[in-house]
Amino acid sequence: MRDRLLLSMWMVAVVAITFIHDPLWLAVLLIVVLVLAGSDRLAILKGALIAIALVNVAVSAGYAISAGVSGEPWLDFVVRLNLRVLLLTVLTLWLSRHLDLVKAVDFSPSLKFVIVLTIGQIKTMQRLLIDYRQAFASRSPARPSLRDRMASSGRQTLALLDKAEHQATELNQGMRSRGFFDDRAQ
Amino acid sequence: MHIPDGLIAPQTYLAAFAVAAPAWAWSVRRVARDFDDRMIPRLAVLTALAFVLTTVMIPLPGGTSGHLVGVGLLALAFGLWPAFLAYSLVLALSALLFGAGGITSLAINALCMGLIGAAVTLGIHRLIQPWKSSVAVVVSVWAGVVVSALLVALVLGVQPLMGRDDSGQPLFFPFGPAVTIPVLVIPHALIGLGEGLLTWLALSALDRRKVPA
Repeated sequence: MRDRLLLSMWMVAVVAITFIHDPLWLAVLLIVVLVLAGSDRLAILKGALIAIALVNVAVSAGYAISAGVSGEPWLDFVVRLNLRVLLLTVLTLWLSRHLDLVKAVDFSPSLKFVIVLTIGQIKTMQRLLIDYRQAFASRSPARPSLRDRMASSGRQTLALLDKAEHQATELNQGMRSRGFFDDRAQ
Repeated sequence: MHIPDGLIAPQTYLAAFAVAAPAWAWSVRRVARDFDDRMIPRLAVLTALAFVLTTVMIPLPGGTSGHLVGVGLLALAFGLWPAFLAYSLVLALSALLFGAGGITSLAINALCMGLIGAAVTLGIHRLIQPWKSSVAVVVSVWAGVVVSALLVALVLGVQPLMGRDDSGQPLFFPFGPAVTIPVLVIPHALIGLGEGLLTWLALSALDRRKVPA
């Protein structure tokens, strides 16, 4: 119940924030969220700044330069955009640290199973990809050519497709043998 | 390519959710019908695959690289609706589990890349299937990536029209289509080519080994 409430409140907050345009209010809300984040606040703030840096710097600098050249005001826009994006990202990172997504979606057994299985499968496939990359790096004493890099990425993609096919069959058989579909049919 | 939170006006993203909601409902129905009791494991694995595919590097000339979008590959291997549903779940999970990407822009990203990008790939592939298979795959995946980039550029490009403050400064993304279209479409024309080649390499290897997809 707690996680479902947390998820709902976060969704409402995210939508509400996009209706706020006053930089002062956005700054106040950002401070409140950071205060409420407790001891995680610095890690969350750092993560958020890294996540938004590329897009925000490009958009802010681009707008500031183009508006500055034509003699138009730009500061309010830059402050508002950066505060809003930072606030939304901080809020989302905070949620990702505190939300148990599986509990939040336990109103739907099917969705819950999809999420549990997906998270497990992501980890398995990421490990496979890391193995392939490390193997390719260890077998490439010199800088690999574009053709070799393309072939390596192609093999990684194929390995992932193979893994997906086998895992889907295996999971289906595992769930069937444990009576998952019989329980659902009743 | 996908749009983060905070750049899009509510009138745009709420409208996108209104369009995406029936598409999601339809895709769940289609996937449930096509996969029956295999739906849950198949959808979970496809979602994980879609997630991890976005971390596969596309090598580009000059030692640089981009990231695979993966939607074209998913669409050609598994069909439109599984690709759309899996890609939408990836966007939601990225935001909720890893705090990455945007939740307000989820519907826009899912529609532009997961639905329309996949539909363009499949439609063009069907049209030019009689061509050499490698050309058909590369061209159709390239077109899907470029059309997705064009749509994202257009959505971003209309944001200056969505509101300005008293001093005339934009409330959301500030650049119009004259800026967003070349900035997004030109690099994705190159990335799309890499993605097309990579998709063809993977699918042709699958065909040769006759692993059912």
